[in-house]
Amino acid sequence: MLQENLVAVAPPASPTTTPPPDVHQQLGILTRQLHDSLNGLGLTEKVKGWAGELPDAKSRLSYIARLTGQAAEKVLNQVDQAKAQHDHIAAETRRIGALIVKDPVAAVAKGHVMNFITDVEQASNKVDGHLTEIMMAQDFHDLTGQVIAKVVNLAATIEEQLVLLLIQTAPPEATVKAPAPHAQYVPALDGPVVSAQDNPDVVTDQSQVDDLLASLGF
Amino acid sequence: MSKELRFLIVDDFSTMRRIVRNLLKESGYADADEAEDGVAALAKLRNSNFDFVVSDINMPNMNGFQLLGEIKKDEKLKHLPVLMVTAEARKEDIVLAAQQGAAGYIVKPFTKATLEDKVNHIITKLGLK
Repeated sequence: MLQENLVAVAPPASPTTTPPPDVHQQLGILTRQLHDSLNGLGLTEKVKGWAGELPDAKSRLSYIARLTGQAAEKVLNQVDQAKAQHDHIAAETRRIGALIVKDPVAAVAKGHVMNFITDVEQASNKVDGHLTEIMMAQDFHDLTGQVIAKVVNLAATIEEQLVLLLIQTAPPEATVKAPAPHAQYVPALDGPVVSAQDNPDVVTDQSQVDDLLASLGF
Repeated sequence: MSKELRFLIVDDFSTMRRIVRNLLKESGYADADEAEDGVAALAKLRNSNFDFVVSDINMPNMNGFQLLGEIKKDEKLKHLPVLMVTAEARKEDIVLAAQQGAAGYIVKPFTKATLEDKVNHIITKLGLK
């Protein structure tokens, strides 16, 4: 049936003797055939499903772009601040070194050395804080990794279904190999919330988790 | 005494295991081991002694809910506090974790202060120090 339809809309064998069909009409026939084929193969619902998931995939990709951008920005800011601390320690080291060379007794007696030690301790604590923040910024790998797995799964599913459609509608003489089903791990749970706005079913920060658990008596 | 507590960190992302491990170390809990999913975690828990489990939920092979269930079913392990650290932000997941016996729930991304606060709170509450 399908093959007959395809033949019916195929370009005329002899264009010099038959006027070319109206392009819009031909497109309309093809669209109708695709629609009928999808219906006949029971794929309409799947296609609707893909159409519904594509905007979700777009928001997931936006989430990845946003998170990686924020992480990079955070790391660069923390590095800037840590380097400023480091420059300060280096400058103070040179200054106190010069004072000690000039008059070691006075450098100690006037408290320059002790002040320097206190200064270094404070600066190193601040640098440690910046290093911790840089480490925490790497959590984007976990969060975006889960989201990427979902998008990759969607792309693989669409690819499989399209190849399946191709196989089912191919002429008998055509040889199309069925794709091997992808066996990648796909989390069954929701994973990171990429768009929490207007979603009362999810929490958006730790305080909401704590409030919820407190309301349950935990 | 709390400094001697032994932690098991369960997460399928090595980056996150490393972050949690470093944060625990900065908080004074240096004794920690790691597992990449619930199956590996359960094997380690049954073959060695741990005092505290920090677990992700979304993992292959055996997820965090399943691991929590296995721990709470096991007579030798059910006393272990399990702190869930996860990106799962649905309220029903938080409620489910609490009902299954989780000692706490942290949503990713989290801060060093949040992890330290929850771990210390659980340790104090359970009299582990």
